[in-house]
Amino acid sequence: MVRAFERGDPMPETFDALAADLARFQAAHVPGYGRLCAASGLDPASIERAGQAPAVPTEAFKLGRVFAFDEQDATAAFRTSGTALGARGTHWMRDVDSYDAAALAFGRAMLARGLPPAAPVLVVGPSAAEAPDSSLAHMCDLFARALGDGAEPGGTFFVRRGEIDLESLRGRVAALRGDRAAVVLATSFALVHLLDALRGERLPLPHGSRVMQTGGFKGRSRAVPAAELRRAVAAAFAVDERAVVGEYGMTELSSQFWEATLVDPRAPHGVYVEPPWARVVPVDPETLAPVPAGDTGVARIEDLANVDSAFAVLALDRVRRTAGGFELLGRQPGAPPRGCSIAIDELLSEPGPR
Amino acid sequence: MTRSVAARVADVRRLVEAAAAVYARRARLAPRIARATGLTVEGVDLGFESLEREASDAELAALVAGAGDASHVHVILSANVFVAPLRALAVARGAAPRVTVRPSPRDPVLATAIVEAAGEAAIRLVSQRDVAAIDADVIHVYGRDETIASVRARARPGVVVRGHGAGLSAAVVTSGAEVERTADALAGDVVAFDQRGCLSPRLAIVDGDGARAERFAEALYERLSAWGRRVPRGELSVDERSGAERWCAAMWMAGRLWRGSAHAVACAPADAPSLVAPPGRHVLVVPAPGPDAVAARLGALGRFVVSVGSDDPGRIARLVPGHARLSALGRMQRPPLDGPVDRR
Repeated sequence: MVRAFERGDPMPETFDALAADLARFQAAHVPGYGRLCAASGLDPASIERAGQAPAVPTEAFKLGRVFAFDEQDATAAFRTSGTALGARGTHWMRDVDSYDAAALAFGRAMLARGLPPAAPVLVVGPSAAEAPDSSLAHMCDLFARALGDGAEPGGTFFVRRGEIDLESLRGRVAALRGDRAAVVLATSFALVHLLDALRGERLPLPHGSRVMQTGGFKGRSRAVPAAELRRAVAAAFAVDERAVVGEYGMTELSSQFWEATLVDPRAPHGVYVEPPWARVVPVDPETLAPVPAGDTGVARIEDLANVDSAFAVLALDRVRRTAGGFELLGRQPGAPPRGCSIAIDELLSEPGPR
Repeated sequence: MTRSVAARVADVRRLVEAAAAVYARRARLAPRIARATGLTVEGVDLGFESLEREASDAELAALVAGAGDASHVHVILSANVFVAPLRALAVARGAAPRVTVRPSPRDPVLATAIVEAAGEAAIRLVSQRDVAAIDADVIHVYGRDETIASVRARARPGVVVRGHGAGLSAAVVTSGAEVERTADALAGDVVAFDQRGCLSPRLAIVDGDGARAERFAEALYERLSAWGRRVPRGELSVDERSGAERWCAAMWMAGRLWRGSAHAVACAPADAPSLVAPPGRHVLVVPAPGPDAVAARLGALGRFVVSVGSDDPGRIARLVPGHARLSALGRMQRPPLDGPVDRR
């Protein structure tokens, strides 16, 4: 599917056919998923559509094995940042080939369209060497290698030991050639810290440059409204606001979702689009059934690139389908609890994105 | 200190007597409390058994000693377990000759009843919602962390804000425990208030291997079924129901789950983290082979643990974090009236 997408060819199989194959495979090889299917009264052999298969809550990645291979065959493990009780979710991978192919194919389409080869890539985040269990660091590293100009890590990653290396970033931006558009990859909270450190100073990027921002702020920086942050980032880097592109991903997934503002002149900010091999379905938090069109629900994410783990993941984020994609509405707000027993969402909250 | 300790103890004791009077006419209050809390009437009856109607002088002296000293304490109550207002009022009364209290708008029944039964000019119900307008020198606020932070941020300069936040409790089943009896006692602690209190156990740590933990989990499931027939669970909110669905699905993935129509018990492997169960009569059982493993499990709960119950409290006392209360199973909801339930 990924290759067909890259070539612009029709998809070789339907989403449902692949999803049904994956669900059967995972029910047979991920012991917990077989139990979950059985508890749902579902015979995996009877699955014909993606929506029939139960979704795995992200909490399951914190509790045990959600992978379909022998433990010794794992070559990568991406971990979440950890809950209030310290539990970290782990997405084990037999290899990262599917992840890399999916991330790169859709990332090229949504962030790098029109970008000349060997563009400077500047990551306001740690390198994969410094954060080896971060799927985001892995993705940024992948983008730097695949899209970048071959700069040394010191000229690519500008967060070291948790601190932004502003001097190096300034030097790298100053040295950019004016005709070579650059790519900046950053988390929202890193951008807030960067803006605070810049104190109004600008780091103008060459024409055609673009900025990826991902994730929220929770606890890692002051929270800034999305539009305000986008305006400030665009001003700081001297890029068009539409060139500041949101990305949404999770440790438990192999695919990412992007705002389409760089590739569709009518696309609004705040609406994320899926690659053909993944889709986001808002579901009722209690029944887990899809909500009526236009209603808000919890994100059930079907990701066919999650071959060896869970193709259907139940996230904690709320989403709403809209023309061309979905809106990301943050965590389920929850009514105030009746009692002083601590709410489960407080125990499950994680301080930031993947 | 303008009032003597004896006077303070006497003031608090009158509140306990007021609570006893309220208890005596609990049948009339139960339907309103059931509507406010979502508990069944049987659940309200059971909850009333945790309302303190007596206390020793030593317990009240301990309460007064830890209550602090103020001229006016204002108490902001959240929709806590419905018997919680008594202890909150007692702590405030132990500290100050003048107490004002704002009951939870969602569940004002018991706070109002106790204050009215006390009939003292020194304790007044108020509806003031503007924290900046509160003229007390100390505010006691009960609720979630963000509620407490919000009150702190808006209180007048110089006002001391004492926060009592949310938490959870755990049970430890020692290697010598008799499984059926221990499971029944724990089930009683779980059923009370439909597990919405911070004294409600949501995690059971079983000293032993996985097989023993599974035996205990199955016994607990059976005992919760039996308790559920006597004291049916009330209605859960949409958030509670969806939280339960997620937790059950995660537990199917991780280990074994026994699920009834109004309760569930899961057993996770020894190396799984303690993904404690959501309120609503759900319990996670985990094996912990030996005291060190038990201590590690309790330690992992960190600042969130308010109390620990056990079939043999004396045996596990050294394993329990110092800030947590320690009780016998079956009595976790009834700690002595010697201060706030939450000692963190």
